[in-house]
Amino acid sequence: MWPFDAVDWLTLSIPFAYLTILIGSLAVFSNLYRKRKAAKAASLEPWFPPHIQRNVYLSLLHMENPKVPDSILKAALLRRATEDIHRIVQIREAKQAMQVLLQRGSVGDDLWQRFQRAEKEIEEELRDVVNEANAFAPNWGQVIFQSASEMAQNQRIRDRLSDILSTAPAEKEWWEKRKAEIQSNFMKELDDDEKKKADAAASKPSAKAGSDDDAVIVESGGPAEKAAKGKKKKGKH
Amino acid sequence: MESPDIFTLLPLEMDATTKAISAQGTPSNALAAELQNLNTLHRALLSVDTSTGTPPPPVPVNPKRSAQIGKLRESGNTEFRKGNHAQAVRLYSLAIDMALGRPLWEPNGLVREEVSGLLSNRAQANMAQQNWAEGAVDAEASVEMKRVGNAKGWWRRGRCLVEMGRLEEAEQWVLQALEFESTEGDLLGLREEIEKRRK
Repeated sequence: MWPFDAVDWLTLSIPFAYLTILIGSLAVFSNLYRKRKAAKAASLEPWFPPHIQRNVYLSLLHMENPKVPDSILKAALLRRATEDIHRIVQIREAKQAMQVLLQRGSVGDDLWQRFQRAEKEIEEELRDVVNEANAFAPNWGQVIFQSASEMAQNQRIRDRLSDILSTAPAEKEWWEKRKAEIQSNFMKELDDDEKKKADAAASKPSAKAGSDDDAVIVESGGPAEKAAKGKKKKGKH
Repeated sequence: MESPDIFTLLPLEMDATTKAISAQGTPSNALAAELQNLNTLHRALLSVDTSTGTPPPPVPVNPKRSAQIGKLRESGNTEFRKGNHAQAVRLYSLAIDMALGRPLWEPNGLVREEVSGLLSNRAQANMAQQNWAEGAVDAEASVEMKRVGNAKGWWRRGRCLVEMGRLEEAEQWVLQALEFESTEGDLLGLREEIEKRRK
């Protein structure tokens, strides 16, 4: 056969070997590089703490003997969706700031990678929850996050409210004390005034007339005015 | 968080009769709290009357509870007008508990609206009995629930603080209130009064 006799196989094998080695080494390098990168990304600290609600849900789902009733699984799924809402809100809020900081070089690449990983995970998580919800009841997946978001909000306002209302007893106690203080001060003032008046009255005869008389008048004006003021205050309380 | 295809198996168990979930051994605080929340939610979910046993979408709202709350508020208002302030406070408290007892998946805007109105009314009833401390706390809570369009709530806490002699706090509060309700005559009057008394 013509062509095969004319070909010098040895010389022809050299370029082929060159190509094989080149492409092979490139493939090995890229493979190793990617694996390393993935390992590095995986070894970075996760953005969020462990997802307890998800773990609870999946643990319940895998519980055999006795099987967990559907109603509990639904509740657990709702709890999981609520936690997801918290997380997605955090991610959305952080994203803008992260991008700006990354552009300015204020944060490292590691942080950005952790962030992106968290973002990807939460997307996956949302999809998973929707699928699970649809498995329980048709079309539940479309409203489960509405319900979950209301639940998150409702929980927040209830916590806030109970925080404020729980200060009521302490406030009341403070005010009772303060009121007693004001009253006792007022009574003392009244007593003092009475005493002064009595003293002034007692010392009146022995003292000279003229200037002392004036003093009595001034002093007797004092308590009356104060008493009137105090009474007004007392009426208000 | 774990990657999407793995999870941590938690040692959970279920009470056969009450269906309550609990953890074996001594769980961490977070897990214990979570399980408690889960059991509470489960009980709430059992009383839902949808065919699938899932919570209904936030709107429309079940009108039964709204009607009950409205009724309690009305009777509270009547008692207040009659001068039975203590009774009015009790009725308002009942209504607040009922409003806060709404299932969590119902719209939070509605809860805010109802609770802020009721708290504001309770503050007024407390003020009528000269319970300034309780009035102040109620009004603060009312404002926390609804900041805009709640001039009465703002004014009531300011008034209570003035009555308790906490003028500095009252001044701060009223200034903050005026940022939201700058044209409210009562608040402006209160500010003037505070300024006069501080001199």
